[in-house]
Amino acid sequence: MSETLLEVRNLKTWFETPKGTVKAVDGVDLTLNRGEILGLVGESGSGKSITGFSLLGLVDPPGKVVEGSILFKGEDLRAASVRRLQALRGDRIAMIFQDPMMTLNPVLRIGTQMIETVRAHAKVSKDEARAMARDALGMVGIPRPEERIDAYPHEFSGGMRQRVAIAIALLHKPDLIIADEPTTALDVTIQSQILSEVQKLTREMGMGLIWISHDLGVVAELAQNVAVMYAGRIVERGTVDQVLDTPMHPYTRGLIDSLPMENDRGQPLKQIPGNAPPPLGRPKGCPFRPRCGFATDACLSEPSETGDLSRGWRCFHPLAQEVSA
Amino acid sequence: MNQPLIKVDTVTKHFVRKTDVAERIAIRAGLAEEPKIVHALDEVSLEIAKGEVVGLVGESGCGKSTLGRVVAGMLPVTAGSVARDGQDIATLKGRAAKDNRLATQIIFQDPMSSLNPRKKVGEIIGEAPRLHGIVPRGEVPALVEKLMGQVGLDPAMVNRYPHQFSGGQRQRIGIARALAVNPDFLVCDESIAALDVSIQAQVINLLVQLKQDLGLTLLFISHDLSVVRYISDRVVIMYLGRVVESAPTHQIFDRPRHPYTQALLEEIPRIDRRGHRFNTVKGEIPSPVNPPKGCHFHPRCPFAMDICRQERPPLVTAETGHTVACHLNGGAGHLPATTQQQTQQGVSS
Repeated sequence: MSETLLEVRNLKTWFETPKGTVKAVDGVDLTLNRGEILGLVGESGSGKSITGFSLLGLVDPPGKVVEGSILFKGEDLRAASVRRLQALRGDRIAMIFQDPMMTLNPVLRIGTQMIETVRAHAKVSKDEARAMARDALGMVGIPRPEERIDAYPHEFSGGMRQRVAIAIALLHKPDLIIADEPTTALDVTIQSQILSEVQKLTREMGMGLIWISHDLGVVAELAQNVAVMYAGRIVERGTVDQVLDTPMHPYTRGLIDSLPMENDRGQPLKQIPGNAPPPLGRPKGCPFRPRCGFATDACLSEPSETGDLSRGWRCFHPLAQEVSA
Repeated sequence: MNQPLIKVDTVTKHFVRKTDVAERIAIRAGLAEEPKIVHALDEVSLEIAKGEVVGLVGESGCGKSTLGRVVAGMLPVTAGSVARDGQDIATLKGRAAKDNRLATQIIFQDPMSSLNPRKKVGEIIGEAPRLHGIVPRGEVPALVEKLMGQVGLDPAMVNRYPHQFSGGQRQRIGIARALAVNPDFLVCDESIAALDVSIQAQVINLLVQLKQDLGLTLLFISHDLSVVRYISDRVVIMYLGRVVESAPTHQIFDRPRHPYTQALLEEIPRIDRRGHRFNTVKGEIPSPVNPPKGCHFHPRCPFAMDICRQERPPLVTAETGHTVACHLNGGAGHLPATTQQQTQQGVSS
């Protein structure tokens, strides 16, 4: 039986603004085991990135985690002190951002930054720290790490910078990595290289990985489990096969259908009508209701989650199983 | 075959940083280096037939956006020529030059940076037809209303500003503005890349609809192969300033011949492939400042031979409508039958 790494229950992260409360994350439950890759999928504004930030205690005012629990290896991170969080971040839990320059300081050699990270969490000499940094760079496929460790971030290409950011995340062999759209800005062949490294590393090191992305294709190929977010909630979850082959939520179905496939030529793409609701003007009840072809009066009240944390959905009119055929 | 609408003939485009007087003196005296030349386009040839949708695919730095701008007449060429209806657009003067510019319009990736935030939507869409006298001044509001309807925007929103619209709606504004001067040729430069998946489908459907209704010709620049496959009649693949392969859409997806095209197709993430073991093209995209000798792809190509390191492979016709620039198999490119052979060799050696 695999070990549970992370348990998130009823997480709510709200932003108090002069115009009202933005419920960016509004009741999210997540479970992640060691060695598992979970794809957290959603469109802009769905709350997927804020979910990631909340787990690390990185939400800045006016945002605040107002409710819920985040259990990491049994420890409640919401109750943890600032010092305790600092000790965990970069050591047991690491984050990779879409833009590696958010991680890297442009005026310091990457070696300097990596040695700093190593020594923040481990009592080792500078030379040992440098050796660890060099090994991490080698691990993510940076050629000639011995030389490149003395380069500045601007001397690397975008893909190489992202590798450096991943190497920094891996320095202390964390138990959990949260990756927020780390390959979105990269070219296809470079994305593929990074995905290959990430896949290998999670397999070898038994880390848990939350891969936040809007790209269903990447998640399908990389992850075992997937959670689909819409308007601050997880609307569907399950294994990649379950969710992508037999989606139960009309939004998931709509997302899949709107991707152009091989046989779609010559006919209009199936599109989801309308736009995602603005964070301050979410409709009452099911937030997907105004864009949903199945909506009825029942949808004016909020659907609760059907199923459990391994396979579930929030919908009054789940799609029938035969949709998969 | 009829005359193509657009004919790009061995176009080369270099970008050089401008030097000031002091720097030029320093260079003359040998105290400073000549500014580096970016080889954005290296003898690119391309034809686009009337009514055709050509997908232009490549990774960053391959020159696809530069080519789009050159074709639209926004950038002068360093060498070579771009002809429209058989006439070199660089030689056009006065009225003819203006008409040519209007007939080709471009739709950009980021609608927010290509729409003036201080202008109302009605002004943005109506400005060009008013200035160019496309319709009498008094009829501009009616034209704007018609265009907004055509791209699926509520004409009642004519007095709003760009920031009051969502990303998908802004892209519709960009499309309406392009259509306002009655173009017959649109260059779409990553026009849907910044949109959410569910909104992408809406905009793609709109473009296809408009193309049919108005008989447009499209150059669709994108890095997203699944979208390109959906929308294009023909696909052109670029790598580091050169066209490496061009073929009808089904042919390039069924029988790609260039090892780079094959790698691209293999590595596009797909939702029907699970737990994929990524098997990747090694190495990085070289810099267009200092492209490798011979075939630009040779440092990353698993099949590179000696000749690939020395000589540029010419773009030759491998079968009807299918051109490829690769030395393998006497210029026919890398064929699937040899794929297996080669990989087996690779494994055993």
